[in-house]
Amino acid sequence: MNGIEYHIIEIIYGSSNDRRKGGIEVRKVAIVRGGLAKFGVRKATYKELAQEAGNAVFDDIPNLDKKDVDSLFLGSAGPDRFAFQCYPAPLVAEQVGVQPRNLIMRTELACASGQAAMRAAYASIAAGLSDIALVMGVEKMNTPNLAEAQTTMAAVMDREWDGVNGMSAPPFFAMIMQRHMYEYGTTREQIAKVSVKNHDNSASNPFAQFQQRFTIDDVIKSVEISKPIRLLDCSGITDGAAGIVMTTEEKAKEFTDTPVYIEGLGQCNMGSLVSNLPSLTTWESLKVAFRNALDMAGKGIMDMSFAEVHDCFTISEIVIYEDSGMCEKGQGGKHIEDGNPYVGGKLPVNTHGGLLGTGHPLGATSIAQTVEVIEQFRGEVPEERYVGGEWALTHNLSGNANVHSVLVMRRGG
Amino acid sequence: MAKIELPYLLDFCTLQTEDFTRIHTFFDNLKEGRLTTTKCMKCGEILWQPRTVCPHCNADEMEWIDLPQEGKLFAFTEVIYGAPLGMEQDAPFSIGLVELENQPMSVLARIDDAHYEDLEVGQEMKLKIITLEDGRVWFRWVHKK
Ligand SMILES: [Zn+2]
Repeated sequence: MNGIEYHIIEIIYGSSNDRRKGGIEVRKVAIVRGGLAKFGVRKATYKELAQEAGNAVFDDIPNLDKKDVDSLFLGSAGPDRFAFQCYPAPLVAEQVGVQPRNLIMRTELACASGQAAMRAAYASIAAGLSDIALVMGVEKMNTPNLAEAQTTMAAVMDREWDGVNGMSAPPFFAMIMQRHMYEYGTTREQIAKVSVKNHDNSASNPFAQFQQRFTIDDVIKSVEISKPIRLLDCSGITDGAAGIVMTTEEKAKEFTDTPVYIEGLGQCNMGSLVSNLPSLTTWESLKVAFRNALDMAGKGIMDMSFAEVHDCFTISEIVIYEDSGMCEKGQGGKHIEDGNPYVGGKLPVNTHGGLLGTGHPLGATSIAQTVEVIEQFRGEVPEERYVGGEWALTHNLSGNANVHSVLVMRRGG
Repeated sequence: MAKIELPYLLDFCTLQTEDFTRIHTFFDNLKEGRLTTTKCMKCGEILWQPRTVCPHCNADEMEWIDLPQEGKLFAFTEVIYGAPLGMEQDAPFSIGLVELENQPMSVLARIDDAHYEDLEVGQEMKLKIITLEDGRVWFRWVHKK
């Protein structure tokens, strides 16, 4: 907003899909299977959550020998603060019993730390640096003092110039909600429908923090957090962990009859400081990330069977409908009112319950979205939220919506 | 040196003297009632927040310019729950993004003496400079009238 020129055109044409057009040979990357530790306020430590998710992953891939895992990518946003633990990657490797010998790293991209780990694994496998990678996301956010977690979240913003003003995730997205209602006439009831829909979906998800249904009235009368945002407009402060195994197309066939291929990747960052963002209500970097990921896959947004997107707050999902091209700008409220993002609608969004329903353990969030994609493709979700199909995407935003990350996935086998 | 009550790594307000930051002039000026920032002496870009190197042309020579202390409210919220350590006792408090008068720039700050219901897009706001107990300074917005 500060008259900064963002190089929107330049970024689009310098996109990741040029690599394909240029014919550079890379290996095709597949996701084998995944597993979760239950999300919620857990009576378990950071390391114990990692063990649970590791246990679930290796249980699901019985013929994978842990010795053959050559790389570990760990998405974890803030263990340094939340769990008073720096340098968590070797710690998690020891907990789950792998000895990475090709690549080991922890990736940090706030709310998209898990997708950052997947993208690093993709790059490493595609380039031939890794063959079999364990990709995990672990976050322990709940401590006896909630203000400590809030302090860490506020430090995701530019601490000296935004955080210092009390700016954090809820107030930031509250300003977006305030502006969206002002600019487009979006109603409080329309926005609340996102929470109702996603909690309806998470009600049948055993790994979700919230297996409970709510009404529009419940949402718009829930406790005020940062006006106009209320408690049921917010995703949870969540402990959780998730893991997947990623490998080459060839190797994946040894472990599963339904590999999931990563066919498109798009990511874009514009700005950092709140006052320097291109806009509050139009997310330019989201448009670039979606376009690049979908172009790389040769698909359009409405070709997806379903989409798991970053509903950290109800208003986020409304803006995502619009800027991803699911509907016209300003029509996000009407889009959900018309039934489009529900299971059975034009393009179901957040079939697993989203972040609103399942919780948001930052580093684990994106991996859990991916587990939903795998299980949808395999037909392993309850009937009431089954979509299936062949194409899906996952999306994460991070920080003050200045970075957007998108993965387009295809069912193999 | 500033007195710190919270451990340094839990204190959102940065250290402001020349021992700790190369933009200490911002805080020195703020103490004198001036809201200032840096302007690149090579390409002329006005930068927020103040910088030591221009992100546009990479020059490292800056001049300090005064910014308007009035503007119009663009977006706002009121924090009820979930304020970080050191700010819990202040809640509820409002935060707003204000578009400066005659300057294509927005500045985020807390808004004093106003609840959410008192705020509207386009309202005239003016800067208020506050001094912390330990002598550090910061700024907030208040209604102009
Ligand atoms: Zn310059």
